[in-house]
Amino acid sequence: MTSRTDAPEGFLSIRSLTKRYGDFVAVDNLDLEVPKGELVAFLGPSGCGKTTSLRMIAGLVPATSGRIVVGGGDLTEVATHRRDMGLVFQSYALFPHMSVARNVAFGLEMRKVDKGEIAKRVKEAIALVHLTGKEEHRPAQLSGGQQQRVALARALVIRPSILLLDEPLSNLDAKLRDEMRNEIRDIQKRLGITAIFVTHDQVEALTMCDKVVVMNQGRLEQLGTPVELYETPKTAFVASFVGRSNRLTAVARNGAAEFAGQRIAAPAGLEGPVQVMIRPHRLGLSPASPAAADPARQQVTGTVARAIFAGDILQYDVDVGGQIVSVELATRGGESVIEPGRPVTLSWRPQDIFIYGAAA
Amino acid sequence: MKTYAKIAIGAGLATALLSSTAMAQQTVTVMAYSGLFQERYTKAVVEPFMKANPGIKVEYFPMPNSAQMLGNLRAQKAAPQADVVIMDVSVSKAATDEKLLTKIDEKNTPNVADLYPSARIADVDGVAVTFDNLVLLYNTDTVKETPKSWMDLADKKFAGKVAIPGMPDIQGLSLVLITDKARGGTDYLKNVDKGIAALGEIAPNVQTWEPKPEVYVTIISGQATVGAGWNARAQVNIDTSNGKLGATLPKEGSVFQINTINQVAGGPGKDAGAKFINYALSPEAQKAFTEAMFYAPTNAKAQISDAAIARTAVKSMDKVIPVDWIALAKVREPIMDQWRRKVIPLSR
Amino acid sequence: MSAVAPAAAMPAPLPAAERSSGLPLVVLLLLPIALVNAFGFLAPVFNLLRMSFYESQATGAMVEVYTFATWASVLRDSFYAELILNSILVSLGITLMTLVCSYPIALYLHRSSGTWRTILLVLVISPLLTSAVVRTYGWVAILSENGLVNNALGAIGIAPLKLMFNKTGVVIGLTEILMPYMILALLAGFGRLDPRVEEAASTLGAPPWKVFRHIVVPLTMPGIALGSLLCFVLAVSSFITPKLLGGGRVFLLATEIYDQAIVTLNWPLAATLSILVLVIFGGALVLYTRALRAIM
Ligand SMILES: Nc1ncnc2c1ncn2[C@@H]1O[C@H](COP(=O)(O)OP(=O)(O)OP(=O)(O)O)[C@@H](O)[C@H]1O
Ligand SMILES: [Mg+2]
Repeated sequence: MTSRTDAPEGFLSIRSLTKRYGDFVAVDNLDLEVPKGELVAFLGPSGCGKTTSLRMIAGLVPATSGRIVVGGGDLTEVATHRRDMGLVFQSYALFPHMSVARNVAFGLEMRKVDKGEIAKRVKEAIALVHLTGKEEHRPAQLSGGQQQRVALARALVIRPSILLLDEPLSNLDAKLRDEMRNEIRDIQKRLGITAIFVTHDQVEALTMCDKVVVMNQGRLEQLGTPVELYETPKTAFVASFVGRSNRLTAVARNGAAEFAGQRIAAPAGLEGPVQVMIRPHRLGLSPASPAAADPARQQVTGTVARAIFAGDILQYDVDVGGQIVSVELATRGGESVIEPGRPVTLSWRPQDIFIYGAAA
Repeated sequence: MKTYAKIAIGAGLATALLSSTAMAQQTVTVMAYSGLFQERYTKAVVEPFMKANPGIKVEYFPMPNSAQMLGNLRAQKAAPQADVVIMDVSVSKAATDEKLLTKIDEKNTPNVADLYPSARIADVDGVAVTFDNLVLLYNTDTVKETPKSWMDLADKKFAGKVAIPGMPDIQGLSLVLITDKARGGTDYLKNVDKGIAALGEIAPNVQTWEPKPEVYVTIISGQATVGAGWNARAQVNIDTSNGKLGATLPKEGSVFQINTINQVAGGPGKDAGAKFINYALSPEAQKAFTEAMFYAPTNAKAQISDAAIARTAVKSMDKVIPVDWIALAKVREPIMDQWRRKVIPLSR
Repeated sequence: MSAVAPAAAMPAPLPAAERSSGLPLVVLLLLPIALVNAFGFLAPVFNLLRMSFYESQATGAMVEVYTFATWASVLRDSFYAELILNSILVSLGITLMTLVCSYPIALYLHRSSGTWRTILLVLVISPLLTSAVVRTYGWVAILSENGLVNNALGAIGIAPLKLMFNKTGVVIGLTEILMPYMILALLAGFGRLDPRVEEAASTLGAPPWKVFRHIVVPLTMPGIALGSLLCFVLAVSSFITPKLLGGGRVFLLATEIYDQAIVTLNWPLAATLSILVLVIFGGALVLYTRALRAIM
């Protein structure tokens, strides 16, 4: 709560937004400040409330409680059509009875933009999403990916003050998706649009967005820049959802977790079983010779259970006290693969390991 | 049609079965009006006939109106299922012209000799079996003073309260003829302008030209308070409504509606049909039916009770304007046209 | 029955090649209904057509001699032109009223769900379980001079309105009688309506009435077209309600056909007018298919 008064008030400000369906809480007390011109990703597993949050922001479902403020004006009770938000629907929701061009022109017509201007902007928007030549097609005559791009063009062309994108690239092939990401990012930056981008795809979230909101079961788990999320995940969920992590168990006692004989400083207050997370490529691996221990690194010993040479990386599964830890080492050339059954030493920098209370 | 076929088949089967066991049993199928007519006619004529002729069984086949009877006759021209049909005179003229009927005369039906002259209609194979006449109807609760003239229907106090079955129904046509005559019209076959003008005066008062289900009910219920209808049904309705309905023969007089009885050409019952017709025209059958339903008799020898005769037009024959329905049929179209253009528009 | 016989008589295990060269399955499946139509529809229509050329004598007698007299009189007499025009206009009016009254109900029904929807649907359909005659008498009780409406008006000091025994009565009565058909047809044609699409329009800045005008109406056009066709056809061919509520003042094709067939006994004329009704239906059908092609 204090963060609200400390942080600069965002252009889009979401305050204690909650949506209940009966007893089920789809969105739980969401607080978020989005500064003008920023692109924020909503990242989370299916059913965590991303779409519901967007729909509340757009005014398509009433919030059970909480406020939505844009540019200082409270929009919570304002009708959708007056909110000036562009929404790209997860299901596209194109107008089936209109051509591509008329779909894209619709928002401009509603805004009473003059004819010549509409024609110009529609043409640009269609070119932007690589659909030139398809102007007169009906949505049913387009592929899924093409429809998605029409939906995108339709929302972009009105230059809304806030752009809400609900998994807008989910149906595109890898190449087109890359291209569209860049396009969206460019347009959004050029026009200074404040945007929320919903995605399942953490790479998309991390690479495109200024900030990422990680959601889980209707709750905001963590808000931060991609680096913050990756380097200092606040919860085990974030650590495992953003990037990949080894998820190990240990027992904490007196401010330290003991893991395979190694004591690791644990956050105050943790006692009993805890989760220990460390990313596979942040681990060092060497043949078992504890002599050359680097005092700045912590280490444990284990046995190689599996070794895979995958070209760019060498992948090891190491058995440490009965738990399997995977390790990834970038190949530099010339290294020899350590055979399964050999003892090895794993090491890491203390800041690379995260300890969380055991999941309930 | 279907049910008729079924009945006919059933009747045929029954006939076949009976004829194999008791050779004497014959069946006569009589097609006539449904409803009240059927109920009273069965009691007054059909049942006594069967009692008197144990060898003959009468099937009453009810139809809502004459036109549908004609439709049936047309459909069964090749293999008639009915023997006797009771229908309006103008319809039996059409049936005669279409050669659907057999001529009835003194030779095959002795009682024809006793009929009033007006009961024998030229160029129609059947003969009159009932006379009815148009009467002015009123609701006795609201209309305290019995109307004297048909033109009372034009009285402002009845605005929106008049129910007349309009043309093409012959009740509307009858009213045109009566008022035409009253206003000095001489030949309704040439023109009925005066009658049309009279109806034009009544028209603004008219609530409906199509009283449903029947004009009598409409007036008894008070939805309308005055109107025109047939005497026989009016008399029965007077009784059943405990006098809520009133009927009167206004000073301008009235016209007869004629129901004829006809023998179907090539009907299955043959001479049994002629036998039934002869009975239907007999003084006792005529008396019974007039006393049951107040149609005026067509047999001059029928000895009808005074109470019943008073409720028919028999005692006011001077007031009955003779109408040649057959000749009239030829000019009905132009009258209908005038009705549509000069009467209906005045009643909006 | 006989329509099924050829299929049943076919030897069951036909080689694939032979089967494809034989009668297509579609034809076999359509055969029964084609036969039913041939006997139940085409034959009577042919009879009507033939009868329209029979001679009708002034007495009502019908003579099986072919003549153009009836057709000539119908085509020449301005009364019948008026009658046809009047029938079409009144039926269009009724169709429009029915559409306007039914559309919101159908839309609401389309959007409701669960038990509530079932209850509403039953309520909508239930009038179909009573005959039009009974329902029309119901309207008599409501619309007559001392009926429900005029009593209510009287209570607030308004002079009674002529709601019955005229065109108004016919339009009101038929509108109500046709509403269930319209609602069902509309519902059947509402398949393309998608709430997401409406939402998309509102996010693009369309106020509710523009969403209705630009999205809901066009997407429900198939239902509107179907319902209108159905109601128009039913309105043109209905005669009981016009008879009961028209008071003999409303001249429509159907009532005229009834009068000619039942009262005046001019069957050739009735047949001629019936054929004209069929021509009108044909026209309506053509318009319908055109409209459908335009909206799809
Ligand atoms: N109208 C509704 N009634 C009841 N529950 C609903 C309703 N709409 C959504 N929910 C529930 O709310 C939760 C969040 O749904 P939402 O659509 O926001 O998920 P999401 O994060 O967008 O998931 P996905 O990534 O699969 O699109 C889900 O569990 C869903 O079942
Ligand atoms: Mg979603």
